[in-house]
Amino acid sequence: MAQSMTSRERTGLMLAAPAFLYMICFFVAPTILLFVFSFYRSKAFVPIPDFILDNYWRALTSAGFWRVVGLSLEIGLATALLSVLASFPVAWYIVYRTRNNSLLYLIIASWITSYLVRIYAWRMILGSNGFVNSTLEQLGLIAQPLEFILYNPVAVVIALVHIYLPLTLLMLLSALRDVRTDYLEAARDLGASSLATLVKVTIPMIHRGLVSAFMFTLVLASGDYVAPQVLGGTSSMTVGLLISNQFRQTGNWPFGAAMAFICFAVFTLIYLAVVLLLRALGLAPNRRYH
Amino acid sequence: MLRAYVWLYVAVLFGPLFLIVLFSFHSTPAQYFPMQGLSIIWYEKFFENHVLVESMRRSIIVAVSSTIITTVIGSMAALALARLQGWAKSAFGTITFAPVALPGLFIGISLLTLFSQLGINRSLVTVALAHVLISLPFFIEASRSRLEYFDLSLEEAARDLGASAWDSFRLVTLPIIAPTLIGAAILSFAISFDEVIVTIFASGSETTLPIAVWSMMRQAMTPAINAASVLALSCVMLLIVSFALAGWLHRRRKLDRRKAFNDGAGA
Repeated sequence: MAQSMTSRERTGLMLAAPAFLYMICFFVAPTILLFVFSFYRSKAFVPIPDFILDNYWRALTSAGFWRVVGLSLEIGLATALLSVLASFPVAWYIVYRTRNNSLLYLIIASWITSYLVRIYAWRMILGSNGFVNSTLEQLGLIAQPLEFILYNPVAVVIALVHIYLPLTLLMLLSALRDVRTDYLEAARDLGASSLATLVKVTIPMIHRGLVSAFMFTLVLASGDYVAPQVLGGTSSMTVGLLISNQFRQTGNWPFGAAMAFICFAVFTLIYLAVVLLLRALGLAPNRRYH
Repeated sequence: MLRAYVWLYVAVLFGPLFLIVLFSFHSTPAQYFPMQGLSIIWYEKFFENHVLVESMRRSIIVAVSSTIITTVIGSMAALALARLQGWAKSAFGTITFAPVALPGLFIGISLLTLFSQLGINRSLVTVALAHVLISLPFFIEASRSRLEYFDLSLEEAARDLGASAWDSFRLVTLPIIAPTLIGAAILSFAISFDEVIVTIFASGSETTLPIAVWSMMRQAMTPAINAASVLALSCVMLLIVSFALAGWLHRRRKLDRRKAFNDGAGA
C-alpha cells in the first residue's frame, strides 16, 4: 500500500509540474520583478536599476496619495459591506430553502460575461440622458437633468456592488454549505431564536468564508480602475487609477510599483483588523468546526 | 418575504443587462423610455465597423487558444490535486489560486514589467498568456472538487485488470471527468472573452473586443456599444446553451440505448 501511495504521489507531482511552472514564470517571477522595480530610479521615464527607498518615501509622505488611498478604501469598504449583506440572504435561501441550482448557474453565467457591460449599463442608467433623469423629467419632478448622480464615488460603488454581488454570493454559498442543518436545528431545539442562532452558531461557523468574501470584494473593488474612469468623474481618483496612470501615461514605473506594494501592505493590515474585530465581537472563535 | 427578496436580487442583477439588450434594438440613439421603435441598425453599424469586427475575431482567437492551454495545464493540475497529499497539496493549491486574490491591476503591471524586461513585444500572444494565468485558478477550482470526489480506486481497479496507465486514464477516468472539464473550459473561455483589466496592460496595438468597446465608451455613448456588448454576451451564452443541450442529448441517447437493451433482454 505504501508503495502505491508514493507512486500515486509521484504521478501527482508530475501532473502538477506544468501549472506550477506556469505560475512561477508568469505570477511569482513578475511579482518579484515588480518588487525589485519599486526600488529602481526613474530618469526621463526610463527605469534605472538602483536600490533607493525614494519611491516609497515619496508616496508615504504625500497627503494626496493618502487621500486617494482613503477614497479607494471607502469605495472598497462600502462595496464589500453592501455586497456581503445583500448576498447573504440569497446564499441562505439557495442552501437551505431550495435544491434547485439553475438560479445559481444563471447568476454565475451573468457574472463572468459582463464586466464592462455592467459599468456601461450604469452609465446609461445614471447619465444626464439616462433612465433615472428621463423618468424624473417625464414625471415632472425635475426640470433639468440631475448631473450629480453620475460622476461621483456613489455611482462607482453602485456599479461595483453590481459587479461583485455574484462573487460574494458564490463565496458565501460555499461557506454556508459546510454548516449542516443539524447544528441549526440543535440550536433551535435548545431554545435559541433565529437571530441568536445566526449570531451564535452560523456566523462563528462561517467566519472564515465571511471574511474571505468581504476581503476579496474589498481588494478587487478598491483596486478597480475601469469603473472610476467611466463613472467616477474627476472627484473619484482611486489608487487603481493612480497606479495604472503611472504605467500608461506619465510612465514612472518604479513609483507605480512602490504604490502597488504600499496598497498590498494596507490590504494586509485591513485583513488583520477585520479578523481581530470579529474575534473581539466573539464572532470568530479561533477554532475549526469542520 | 425571503423569496420576494431573492427575486428582487435577481431582478437587480439582470435588470441593467436587460436594458442593454433592449436598447441595442432601438431605432434611435436615445437610451430612455418610451422607445420609438425597433431596428437592427446598431448591429449593422457594428458589422460595418472594421475595427470592431477585427477585434471580435482576435478575441475569439485569443479565447480559443488560451482555453486550450488552460484546459491541458488545468486538467493536469486538478488531477494532481486529487493525488497529492499534505504540504505539497496545500502549497500547490495555494500557488495556483493566489492570482485570484490580487486585483487585476497588480497582475497587469507585473506582467507588463516582465514582458518589457525580457524584451517581449506585446501582442495577442502575451494577451493569451495573461488570460491563461487568470483563468487557470478558476479552471482548477471549478474542476477539483469533482475530480477529488472521483474515486481513484476505480482507476486502480482498471490497472489491476491489466490496463496500462494511459488506457485506464483514457477508458475509465476521462469519460467520467469529461463533462466537468468541458464546463471548466467554457468558464475559461468566458473569462478570456470578457477580460479587460489585465488585457489593457498585456496587449499591444492589436486589441480584443472588450478593449475596443472600452475605448469607444470613453468617447461617446452610442447604442453601437450596446450591440457590441450583446454580441459578446451571446457568443458565450450560445456556447453554454449548446454545451447544456449536448449533455442533455447525450444522456437521453444513453438512456434510450439502455432501455432498448433491457427490452431486448426481456423478449
